[in-house]
Amino acid sequence: MNCIHNYTGALILLLITIMLFLAGCGDTTYMQGKRLYVVNCQNCHMEDGSGLGGLIPALSSSAQIGSADFSCIIKNGLNDTIFQDSTYLLKEMPSFKKFSATEITNIVNYVNHTWAKDFKESTILDVEKVLNECP
Amino acid sequence: MNPKIHLLFIVTFLTFFSCSPKSGDLPYLGETVVENGIEIHHKVGQFAHLNQDSVLVDNKKMSEYIYIADFFFTSCPSICPKVMKEMTKIYDAVKDEPNVKLVSFTLDPKRDDVAKLKLYANNLGIDHNKWYFLTGDKDATLELANTFFVAAFEDANAPGGFDHSGKILLIDKEGHVRSFSEGTDPENTPKIIADVAKLLESYKSK
Repeated sequence: MNCIHNYTGALILLLITIMLFLAGCGDTTYMQGKRLYVVNCQNCHMEDGSGLGGLIPALSSSAQIGSADFSCIIKNGLNDTIFQDSTYLLKEMPSFKKFSATEITNIVNYVNHTWAKDFKESTILDVEKVLNECP
Repeated sequence: MNPKIHLLFIVTFLTFFSCSPKSGDLPYLGETVVENGIEIHHKVGQFAHLNQDSVLVDNKKMSEYIYIADFFFTSCPSICPKVMKEMTKIYDAVKDEPNVKLVSFTLDPKRDDVAKLKLYANNLGIDHNKWYFLTGDKDATLELANTFFVAAFEDANAPGGFDHSGKILLIDKEGHVRSFSEGTDPENTPKIIADVAKLLESYKSK
């Protein structure tokens, strides 16, 4: 009888451990990138990446995302006239020169994982390669 | 029950309900003064600004509508995009209601001239007859903001050169402030949309 009680207790403990582990897993995907996004990008691109009409591009429908190619936009901003589907956009995007290649990799992966249609993880080498070839 | 207690109940009941505002009525925000027995509620200040189509918009024109107002500037890098996002949600909710307008005053008329506001409105994709983006004298606009209970002042150290709060206000046809929301908090927005409907209803029953 004691043996059955011990097994039941152990099983409950195991289930609770698995549940806690799974609950923790949900929020840890590209957490570093998410933190950087919330502090530096979310104010304009919004929490859900929807942007603001034709003024601030929505990330979910942006042709720029999906790879590490937009690393240069993060690093240097868009300070000139911005076009999207031949529509003139008024607001310019500030540069984030303070970011290291690691931080840019984190943002790139968070943004692509959250909004790109086909997600492929970028490595720091991918980002460094793009940054070395920025216009 | 003792008749005196009965009477006390009735008097208390009548006193309470005769003093309470009608159920569902929006309050008048700001100071109310009583002159010659008449209550005078706070009103927003006088303005005569140009909109994105160079049309003069003033208190007289706005007295035909109830309107939602905010203060912003197009190059604002801080709270403005968030507040503007909430304004677009309100716009979507009221765009088919002919008695409601939206008004956004720029705090930075030097950079935000009529042409720039027109471009901004075009890019936002809104109806220019529904949502006015207004430019006028800078100092007058900063003073005007205070009458809308929006703190706004020039500050060289602030992002973009101006410090301001992100309140969104609901103004009635008489120029009284009847409701507000914090434009930086999306959870506030459904309430002010509901308050627009309440205010419209109060005009229908007059």
